[in-house]
Amino acid sequence: MLPEPFTPQFLTQLETLRLRTKKETLGSHPGSYSSPRRGTSLEFADYRRYSPGDDLRYLDWGIYARSDRLYIKVFREEVDLFAYIFIDASASMAFPSPGEKFQPASHIALALAYVVLANHDHVKLHFLQSGSSSVASPFYRGRRRMVDCVDFGAAAAPGGPLELGPSLGEHLKRLRRPGKAILISDFLMPAPSYQQGLNLLRAFNLDIAAIQVLSRAEVEPPFATGAFNLVDSESNAELRLQWDAAARQGYHVKLAQHNSEIRSFCHQSGIHYSLYVTDRDLSDFVFATLPAIGLFK
Amino acid sequence: MEFLSPSALYGFLALPLLLLPYLIRRKPQRLVFSSLLLFAPQASGATARPWRRLRLPPIFFIQLLLLALLIFALGEPVFSVRVSNVAVVMDNSASMQALEQGTTRFALAQERARTLLADLGATGRVDIYVTVPRLTNVTKETLTPLEAASMLTSLEPFDLPDVSVDYGIVLKELAQDLNYERIYFLTDRPAHGQSGVLWILTLGQAQENLAITSFRVRRSSLTNSQLEALVSVTNFTSQDQKTKVLLRGRGALLATKELTLGGGQSDTVSFQGFAEHPYFEAEIDARDALALDNRRFAVPSHTRTLKILGISPRPEAVASLRRVAGVSIDVISPRDYGNVDRSGYGLEIFHLSAPPTLPGAPALLVLPPETNPFVELERPMSPVGVSHWRAGHPLTRYLNFALFRPRWARPFKPKFPGETLIESPEGGLVFAAERYGVRYLVLGFDPFPYLGKENLPISIFTLNFLDWFIGESGAEGNGTGEPISVRTSEPGAVMVTPKGEQQPLRPGSNSFANTFFQGIYQLSHGKAKELFAVNFYDTAESNLRERAPITLRDEDNTNNRISTLLFLWPYLLSLSLLLFVIEWFLIPRVMRSRQTVRFRKIEAV
Repeated sequence: MLPEPFTPQFLTQLETLRLRTKKETLGSHPGSYSSPRRGTSLEFADYRRYSPGDDLRYLDWGIYARSDRLYIKVFREEVDLFAYIFIDASASMAFPSPGEKFQPASHIALALAYVVLANHDHVKLHFLQSGSSSVASPFYRGRRRMVDCVDFGAAAAPGGPLELGPSLGEHLKRLRRPGKAILISDFLMPAPSYQQGLNLLRAFNLDIAAIQVLSRAEVEPPFATGAFNLVDSESNAELRLQWDAAARQGYHVKLAQHNSEIRSFCHQSGIHYSLYVTDRDLSDFVFATLPAIGLFK
Repeated sequence: MEFLSPSALYGFLALPLLLLPYLIRRKPQRLVFSSLLLFAPQASGATARPWRRLRLPPIFFIQLLLLALLIFALGEPVFSVRVSNVAVVMDNSASMQALEQGTTRFALAQERARTLLADLGATGRVDIYVTVPRLTNVTKETLTPLEAASMLTSLEPFDLPDVSVDYGIVLKELAQDLNYERIYFLTDRPAHGQSGVLWILTLGQAQENLAITSFRVRRSSLTNSQLEALVSVTNFTSQDQKTKVLLRGRGALLATKELTLGGGQSDTVSFQGFAEHPYFEAEIDARDALALDNRRFAVPSHTRTLKILGISPRPEAVASLRRVAGVSIDVISPRDYGNVDRSGYGLEIFHLSAPPTLPGAPALLVLPPETNPFVELERPMSPVGVSHWRAGHPLTRYLNFALFRPRWARPFKPKFPGETLIESPEGGLVFAAERYGVRYLVLGFDPFPYLGKENLPISIFTLNFLDWFIGESGAEGNGTGEPISVRTSEPGAVMVTPKGEQQPLRPGSNSFANTFFQGIYQLSHGKAKELFAVNFYDTAESNLRERAPITLRDEDNTNNRISTLLFLWPYLLSLSLLLFVIEWFLIPRVMRSRQTVRFRKIEAV
């Protein structure tokens, strides 16, 4: 049973999309993504001198006519894509409630997974949690495996703290093929922490997209004016806060600054970045925002 | 601006209590947020102190203003339109002599009245009234406030109890009749209700008081020359009181006795074996608020013998009383009654006759004729049977009514307020009455001649009524305000009051009415002098703890009401209501915004 947003119409629209990669992939089957290996695709890659046994169909007769030398045209190999979708499943993703933040994040992941599956590529879902709590699905291929993706995603529950770098490292240790990495998180962590995680993904030669998910309550905290103690959902740290108009303004400035730093880092690192506030329509985000940042072809 | 209920303004003292909810540090609310990364740490005010730093929100000031307005409204503020025609009614009853921190209530009332008059301005017109002996305008013509203020100085409180009238009605009618725009009534009685025209200004607080409520000096019997003094003292306090009762004779201390009284109780002290003086004085050694009721005066019977004037067609029968020791009697015929000097007689016995009018002296009427002012005669009866008698009365003591059988009687029905002491089936046989301190006795049978032991029941009854006339009548003296009955028709008779004033009696007058002060009054006529004791006897007036309140009624139904007050409390209440609505509007907004916090609250640390 697919979740509510995944209507037949929505799925049909998703089937029209394809993930775009900036890097060449090393697929195992023929596909539509270029590979560093030479193959039989239509995309011209290079010339090499003819050697006996080469297929004469690939001789470039024009060069032979001009230079009286035999050259063979070499084409790129087009292979399938391996996509890795990393979903932040820490306690902060359950704020203010799992249905208002973690579930929308999961829906984005499932939508992207369906795009991959519909193109007969490989997708793997990773839920990032601290230590051994992190789980990863097997590779799914083919749109029929969408149900498995949904089941896998439904089994995950957010909780606990998260150190992005170490948690990603645990997953990347078992990663064998480069491909597309999509990190879905609220990125409410210090800049060194998320930078370490993203750099780790870069180090594994992955084509990276970062989607920041925030709930409306995080964008505009609905605190009543007055004093209260604020508790961090992950670390349980407590902060005495006097909430008033000035504090609200200060929070907005800091949030904008934080998001700007993420966007800047991603831009400098060649990472697709987008912000999704969960009260926004999912299809609007998938079909308008994500193509706009170049995530889809 | 003035306040009709100024005591409500004490509520302002409680206003700082409103700060308490804001001072007491509540347990801070704990809210979970996804991350504290974007929140700047603030200087925490969290300390172990139960009081937090005072931070007053705007709602506090609205609440403060709301409460202040409510208290202000409870004080019933009024803007008084300046009035020009006022009456000042001074309560000059005895309780106004009570001391309030060294000053009498009446002096406080005078001072307060002067303050009120000073506010009237030069155009005001003032009448001054006093309440006792009756509500009287003491100003011959309307005065200016300045004249009225100086007039107040000449007033003084009388030793008289308050008149039992409903001042709420009487003063309201006075305002209507004489078109007073305002009547100030300065009294020590509290007021209930409110009135626009009548302002009751209550002076003084509830005070504890001891009082002599009765003082009598009498002979124990007709034949006994020894005097007995009875002093009754009442404790108008809630606690036990110990006091000393002093008996003085013409100023000289004769005897003292200690007396302990429980709260609200009375007791009587008896003195015996003291020498005879023209007058006696009882005093209690109490330092209470009202000194007036700590002293009483009494005059004993001025002669040791009872001098009787007998008026009878059968003189020998009445003259038989000469056999009684201590009795001297002169007998005249009824025709001579108007021609003799009756002064000096302690009793007039009308035997088979009656005076044309009520006599001024104690009188005994024996078988009066039809034309008498006391009783209506029935048919004669013989033999006489006694069907009922009043037990415990001085006239019936020692009597054995099984043996009390007059041979012939003519019963009667009283037509005068009094008490029938002995009755036959056909009507009364003995009727006693008292008016203005003078005692009258009517007999429906003839006790004369006095036969002594030969007719013992009738002789005992004869001695009883002689004792009753000589021993009881006038022993307690007059109350203040009651006229003194005088038995002189000599011109030039003068009454000397306790204040030393000499007031001549009108010729032919048989009473002296100006008994406004307690003490000994001395009647001088010729060389003869007669003393009268006048005492202040009013337990309600002596009870300074519980003064009877005056009830004011709403004057809305009064057609010619002259409103001189602009009541502000409706406006203040309206403003308070508006503030309450504002507060109600603000607080739910805060509460609603709190309800939108949809995230979890940590129940406990």
